[in-house]
Amino acid sequence: MSGILVTGVGIISAIGNSVNENRASLINKVSGISALSLFNTRYAGLRPCGEIKIETEQLKHLLNAFEKGVTRSSLLGLHAFMEAVADAGLSTRQLQHPGTALIGASTVGGMCLTDELYHDANRDDEGSAYLSSYDCASVNLYLQEKFGIGGIVNTINTACSSSANAIMYGARLLQQGYADIAIVGGTDSLAKFTINGFNALHILSPEHCAPFDRDRKGLNLGEAAAFLVLERGENIKGKKVYAQLTGYGNSNDAFHPSSLSDEGDGPYLAMLQALSVAGMEPSAISFINAHGTATENNDIVESEAMIRLFSRVPSFASTKGNTGHTLGAAAAIEAVYSILNLTHQEIYPALNFKNAIEGKGLVPVQEYQKTAVKNVMSNSFGFGGNCSSLIFSTA
Amino acid sequence: MDLEEIVVHLFSPPRNTSTNLTTTTGSNFKSQISNHFMFIHYNNCISTQQTFEKTDLEILHETVDNKLKAIEPSYEGIPPGILRRMGKAVRMGVGCALPALQEASQANGIIIGTANGGMEDCIRFLNQIIDYEEGMLTPGNFVQSTPNAIAAQLGLMTRNKQYNITHVHRGLAFENALLDAMMKLRELPDAIYLLAAVDEISDYNYNIDYLDGWYKKEPVKSKDLYSASTTGSLAGEGAATFIVNNREANAVACIKGIQTLHTTNENTVKQACSEFLSKHLKPGEKPDICITGENGDSRMLKYYSAVESVFDEATTIARFKHMSGEFPTASAIALWLACNLHSLPAHCIKKQGTVKHAENIIIYNHYKGSQHAFIWVQRLEKIKPGLH
Repeated sequence: MSGILVTGVGIISAIGNSVNENRASLINKVSGISALSLFNTRYAGLRPCGEIKIETEQLKHLLNAFEKGVTRSSLLGLHAFMEAVADAGLSTRQLQHPGTALIGASTVGGMCLTDELYHDANRDDEGSAYLSSYDCASVNLYLQEKFGIGGIVNTINTACSSSANAIMYGARLLQQGYADIAIVGGTDSLAKFTINGFNALHILSPEHCAPFDRDRKGLNLGEAAAFLVLERGENIKGKKVYAQLTGYGNSNDAFHPSSLSDEGDGPYLAMLQALSVAGMEPSAISFINAHGTATENNDIVESEAMIRLFSRVPSFASTKGNTGHTLGAAAAIEAVYSILNLTHQEIYPALNFKNAIEGKGLVPVQEYQKTAVKNVMSNSFGFGGNCSSLIFSTA
Repeated sequence: MDLEEIVVHLFSPPRNTSTNLTTTTGSNFKSQISNHFMFIHYNNCISTQQTFEKTDLEILHETVDNKLKAIEPSYEGIPPGILRRMGKAVRMGVGCALPALQEASQANGIIIGTANGGMEDCIRFLNQIIDYEEGMLTPGNFVQSTPNAIAAQLGLMTRNKQYNITHVHRGLAFENALLDAMMKLRELPDAIYLLAAVDEISDYNYNIDYLDGWYKKEPVKSKDLYSASTTGSLAGEGAATFIVNNREANAVACIKGIQTLHTTNENTVKQACSEFLSKHLKPGEKPDICITGENGDSRMLKYYSAVESVFDEATTIARFKHMSGEFPTASAIALWLACNLHSLPAHCIKKQGTVKHAENIIIYNHYKGSQHAFIWVQRLEKIKPGLH
């Protein structure tokens, strides 16, 4: 794989509204998990979430985005998109060029408006302002229209691994010459739909989540958006470069609609394939940004898959304790964190860990470390057995 | 968090201002894309017409309440216990693809395009949330409602642990899946992929799109779709599946090019059509047939007229939405038709061209006037077309 470079990054999550704020929170062990205060659900006090504490109306004012039917998911996406595009120094003309692709992921899309969707779908009245905004594609179609993105535009939904696949698709468009610039990422906002869905599956924790801890009680949902600007090496010419995307893998666990197999074939094969695309031995990986949702199933299976693949499991941690599980945005925000690992040569600690999982014995990094980081693997595994893994390397 | 800081951050100039904008845009963008031909072998379709088992497109199955509902097979390959739990989109998608995966059990991946996946399950779960005020809910509908449930179920049922992906980009979900398959076959030249598309009409997405003005308000029969001068179309649904690889031997058809674009300007569409043709056709070569997604919506006609004006008297103009109804991945049904063109019936022909073969076919479709796509298909079976 030759030269897919990251030239811009943008992110908004429960631990900050910019790349710099997110980094500061990761260094300082800040958790964005809290009782819901902006979002109306009966689980507000019962299931803590990684909520971005800016009201939707406030986001519209901040971003000067008052289009009819714009949703919170689109606004979060817009926030991260603008940061990434400004960071990479892309001009309007470049955005509108047929060589500029926009590949995003979302699992919630406009379904964050659960009540409006209910009324529209059941045709209770004349129809709300959001009739064209409910699907997953609505976010990227909004960004496409707003900026006149000229190239290939796509939306991917593979549940919790969605944005890893968006990043992968964008990289492949670049490699095959279907794009010169690929803006890739994902966005999801909190929704009654997902809170109730995950709660019905009994995997929402009543406490702050504790990835890879023996006594973990499930995940906390979060909301976030992140975009990366990817370009081919030969087009860069003196531009600032954060990192390279060197490997990617996609595999299906083919075991169960909503849980992973004990052996973790999907996670194992996704990581293995990413290494193979990167042309790396497992020992080349300096650090793993694990999926680590803190569900009973994910963390034990991911541990098993890491043990299977690595003769010595590298340093690893999960940032879900900071941000919550942000679903379709998770792989994109964690791609940004992996890139920060590389550019600043530092590792951010996992929160809330006390005891290793019995029989696995894996202990995540618990303190901030300045250390040599050359290749970071970032894992994302989703419902439907959709497993993906990315490798970012120093530029 | 200080809001002013956010604003300053968002609108501040990029940190690195030395970027040379002209070099990054590049002027030779298109020349970098070398043509890649992807061959279609097995293909299968569940649609609102008789398109599986004994395909018969001469008898036009009509709308009921302005909806064209899929004619479904008995799904013998799916265990009854699993079948009962499947929503319609999952059932059609899996049922259409399973026979294909039996033909290609070692598929290197499952690539699906669906705008909405299991919309009915989605809204059923939503109704539970609201009606029971977020009380004790059962997760079944939630799990089935995620659009990736179709590709996931196929992976699960065929124990396929390879590449598995779901494209959901509304009216270009199938086109992106198709492009994904083409890219995969350049990366792994010996591979074989399952490429499929599916979308369902549920009462719920019908209601949403009806309120948004995308379906006709007055009753319209399928055969009268194109003569209606009103806005909106007829609702449709369906699934189509293709086994694709790089091998020409025994192939039914070949995908020679695809171009997608987002615009609401018909002149841009027309220009894109001309460029697409000049890129893919040799000088003097003319497409035999252009299959368009004309859908009876008076507001959308301008795009189809613009595209049709690019072709001269040689090219036959055909339509299919009176058979399939309108839905985001309907272009997959058009591709299936192109693969099975020997049975293209008279009611599909808008304008009979002078060219008598049916070899080079352009599919032009758009969804809701903003997502457009051109697909160039070459039929490889030299069967005389049934153009009456």
